[in-house]
Amino acid sequence: MATLINTLWQGLWYKGGVGNWSYQFHRLAGLGTLLFLAIHIVDTAFVFFAPELYKHALEIYRHPLFMLGEIALVAGVLYHGMNGLKIIIFDFWPHLWNHRNEGRANILIYVATFLAWLPAAFIMGSNLYKYSILPLLGGK
Amino acid sequence: MSVMTSTPTVREVSVPKTWDTRMWQFMRWSGALLIPLAWGHILIKDVVIGVHDIDLEYVRREWATWYSFWRIYDAALLAFAFAHGMNGLRHIANDFIHNENAKRVVSWAILIAWFVISAIGATAIIGGVR
Repeated sequence: MATLINTLWQGLWYKGGVGNWSYQFHRLAGLGTLLFLAIHIVDTAFVFFAPELYKHALEIYRHPLFMLGEIALVAGVLYHGMNGLKIIIFDFWPHLWNHRNEGRANILIYVATFLAWLPAAFIMGSNLYKYSILPLLGGK
Repeated sequence: MSVMTSTPTVREVSVPKTWDTRMWQFMRWSGALLIPLAWGHILIKDVVIGVHDIDLEYVRREWATWYSFWRIYDAALLAFAFAHGMNGLRHIANDFIHNENAKRVVSWAILIAWFVISAIGATAIIGGVR
């Protein structure tokens, strides 16, 4: 048991600091996206295998909780892409990779992800309001 | 700290072309490709159109137009995104599993799951909306 906890802990924390957080967010965003993607491939395949079930899948997607998840998913995909681009750049042009650039890139990625996510979250949030919250308030 | 002041040295080393070397390269190339593919997909489907305006008729129309451009786009997304994700899952699993036999079992399970789900998706893209 102690070994298991040790293994899990060492897989999460190798050094600490902003780079370690980026590594964890990258994995978390990747795993979250993969989980959704696996479900999403199967439910989209319903258009061929079981068209009447596709309608049911869409109803689940339109549920307010799922729409909140969708807003989080977009943040994850944006972050994973930007951080992945950083990994690609530093791997293919290693002379750029130093402690200072790595730290600056990580901060830049947090800011850029937030700025790119904000308008998307606003639009998706407006849809959530229009389709899920407004009907509860008696509006149309 | 010496890490911050030392001049970076770039060493040329020959890397053996193993399976994992190729998968490492695949993660970089597919990752770069997925930035326009996946971001474009969520921008169009989640933000611009939105889940309330997507239904069977929408998918049917989209896959039928532009010489099946969007069908090819979705096929590329299926091929690259899911393989990228499942290989990433294998990497994470291998970080936590230290037993060689368990590692092999998990890697095979991930490969089989990748193949089955990819085949389901590919069949639907080729078969189209019924």
